[in-house]
Amino acid sequence: MRQARITTLAAAAAVVALTVAGCTPNDTVEGDGPVTLETWISQDMETLFPGDAGAYDNISVLDVVYDGLVRYDPETTEPYNYVAESIEPNDDNTVWTIKIKPDLTFQNGEPVDADAFARSWNYTADGDNGLYSNYFFGIIEGYDEMQPTTDDDGNITAEGAADELSGLKVTDDLTLEVTLASPFAGFATMLGYTGFFPIAQECLDDVEKCALEPIGNGPFQVTDWQQSQELTAEKWADYTLDETPSYDAIHWTEYAAGETAGWADFKAGDLDLSFPPTAEVESAKNDPELSERYVEKPGASLTYLGFSGYTEGPWNDIEFRKAISMAIDREGIISSLGSGQATPADSWVVPGGVPGGEAGTCEWCVYDPEAAKAALEKAGGWPDGEKLQISLGDDDAEVEYFTAIGNSIEEVLGIPYELNILPSDDYFSTRSAQGFDGMFRNNWFPDYPLNENYLSFYASGEPGAGHWGWYSEDFETKLDEAAAAPSLDESVALYQEAEAILAEEFPTIPFRWSFSATYYSDRLENVILNPFSGAPILRKIDVTA
Amino acid sequence: MGRYILRRAAQAVGTLLLVMFLLHLLTTVAIQLNGNPAQAFFGDKVATPAQVAAVEQRFNLDDPCYDQVGNPCLGPFVERLGQYAQGDFGTNLRGREVSEIVATAAPNTIRLFCVVLVTWLALGMLLGSAAARWRGSPGDHGIRLTSVLIDAFPVFVLLIVYRYVVAVPLNRWAEDTFGENSWPPYWFKPSFDPDHPWATVVVPGILLGLAGSAAFIRLVRASQLDSYQGDHVRTARSKGLTEGRVVVHHVVRNSSVPVVTAVGLTFAEALGGAVITEGLMNIYGMGGVLWEAVRNDDVGLVLGVVTLLAAVTVVVMIVVDIAYALLDPRIRYE
Repeated sequence: MRQARITTLAAAAAVVALTVAGCTPNDTVEGDGPVTLETWISQDMETLFPGDAGAYDNISVLDVVYDGLVRYDPETTEPYNYVAESIEPNDDNTVWTIKIKPDLTFQNGEPVDADAFARSWNYTADGDNGLYSNYFFGIIEGYDEMQPTTDDDGNITAEGAADELSGLKVTDDLTLEVTLASPFAGFATMLGYTGFFPIAQECLDDVEKCALEPIGNGPFQVTDWQQSQELTAEKWADYTLDETPSYDAIHWTEYAAGETAGWADFKAGDLDLSFPPTAEVESAKNDPELSERYVEKPGASLTYLGFSGYTEGPWNDIEFRKAISMAIDREGIISSLGSGQATPADSWVVPGGVPGGEAGTCEWCVYDPEAAKAALEKAGGWPDGEKLQISLGDDDAEVEYFTAIGNSIEEVLGIPYELNILPSDDYFSTRSAQGFDGMFRNNWFPDYPLNENYLSFYASGEPGAGHWGWYSEDFETKLDEAAAAPSLDESVALYQEAEAILAEEFPTIPFRWSFSATYYSDRLENVILNPFSGAPILRKIDVTA
Repeated sequence: MGRYILRRAAQAVGTLLLVMFLLHLLTTVAIQLNGNPAQAFFGDKVATPAQVAAVEQRFNLDDPCYDQVGNPCLGPFVERLGQYAQGDFGTNLRGREVSEIVATAAPNTIRLFCVVLVTWLALGMLLGSAAARWRGSPGDHGIRLTSVLIDAFPVFVLLIVYRYVVAVPLNRWAEDTFGENSWPPYWFKPSFDPDHPWATVVVPGILLGLAGSAAFIRLVRASQLDSYQGDHVRTARSKGLTEGRVVVHHVVRNSSVPVVTAVGLTFAEALGGAVITEGLMNIYGMGGVLWEAVRNDDVGLVLGVVTLLAAVTVVVMIVVDIAYALLDPRIRYE
């Protein structure tokens, strides 16, 4: 008995000791540090390698860590040369000569020269590396030889034959000559995109490390990244270009639940930028003090409806698609949901946001129940007893929107509908395998500010191909013509004509434009939203201690 | 005892293998039916077959079996087991080491569980014992009513109300009262702060613990009431022991066995609560990691994390069994 008691006591003591050892708080409370901007990103950011960044989060972080050849004007989105001294095309826009400003370096001291760009582009263009921005380089000569070959089941049978783009020549330390696979007047506009940033040799030598500890050439330097929790970048002391920030550091808190998750922290003074969850949008708007620290801008991302043109159905008749489009009360749906955090769309290219973008190019994007009914009749009506299937990825806010769209269609046209909600993997692979039957949600977030970027992905190459099974020879000829135009302005105008063909044939239905808005703390001034990504332009913000 | 532990360990390894294989099958079927995560990598972009194939290779999902519905993909499973045997837990889809993810996330969850456990034990033992000791008194009724009320409040309601209504004013008040760089404001931060992991996990932990404590209170009360009526307690009283000694040595200790069992069982359940708590309070922990991994069909991460969790659960169960023997001399493992 005594033996047992001693054992019990010993065990209890051990448990207490372990608990105390495991559970002893060892945090410290520190004092004032440098002037730091407190902002947020989402928790699933996986990489800071320029060629592999494709999400809002890593793009906005890399925007302050790296400098590209061009940057974009926050008001007009026009590109201006930044790291580039000059970017000049030849007569037919097939060969581009890029001169780089002298004496620029990376944060590790390596020079930012023509080689720095060439090594970055070659690595990303190499299909065997499987990087996100790979497809951007398809425009440069020699891309195809760098891609792996696959069999009919999608398995790789051979690696890409080449490791370098044959169209990319370093003619001297600071000059890069780029030969395009086909003419493209808008090439210079693409060059500000994250995928075109330069990388240091040290970065290429250990890409995995560089993805976590980037070696940039921009005004901020990543000093600490506790992946999935927080990221800190400090001002780089040796930065020589003119867009220098007025404060010392940026601290990003990573949130699992997205943008609005930090609202409570914003109210507690721990975040400088945030936007409230839907339930609190109204009260934030009505707060006189808060509403003074608010900026908003129409966004550039388009949500639109597509049809399974590859299956039999009424949607293969343009009159039916018109009927659906005119039966959707865009204005009403958007103002009743999400507190008006979107703009009804009536064009395929964002109006005002990029060169060539105009409102109202979509003739049938107005809510007109009578015309909708007439169009449905012309199309031969909807088969009795069938339901229109509307497919979309699993996202609560989108489900609300699409329920409203379905209701609007049912109310006006009497077409019963059902939502087919899929996990996102499933949704994307079903779409690319042409597995839908009916109508489905699509979204486009542009990569660079040119109307071409909103249009070229509709080109499917052959009848029945692509996400919508839609093909138009006129449309694709127009795209080629626009790409080969002698100047950017003429090119933009020709792309507008391509948009007009899209509007005429009406394969997809524009629904809404995104909307960007943020509240900011009283420590901040000069908060401007990027008209393109909707993110606050961190380089421009002023922070007081 | 040694033999018993050995037998349990052997059983544990068997269980672990079975759990891993089942999970492997489930995630594999999910990929075969839902489509390859490589496709989702490109999102709205139209990717060529070569681009998708290259990403599949990068994600280690290029084995043709992932395209054949019903194929159990034994090859990749055996390969993975081989890696595990060498202590290599592999990477998630994007090449991040699973062991590193767990090393970052697990401490946060363990902190949360420490607070939860202390809350359970403190509330359960104190309130449950008091209710049993003064059975039928207004205090007993009050405690039972409280436990029903706690049950009626789901943990996410508690947390949402705390985070969006209570935390900000409390945090402001604490800052004004104790100064910005003192401890109290950190206790009431609306979100977890990885630089102050303990201070910012206390309140969420107490709330999660509170939500789970109702069952505990009732369990402790019920098992102690049994003890109070036991022969051994009557004997103890009749041989003239003080009431305090009777309560501590003969009632509380003898009624601890079911409580220990419940701690073991509820731990697994608490991981479910942890997903909600971690998500709402922005704690980067195991619950959230697993949640996201399953959502993204991240086979490597799901298996790695679950293997580690299952290993921990099995160890906890063995520890619970050993604790029985220590608490109740009648239980012997021979």
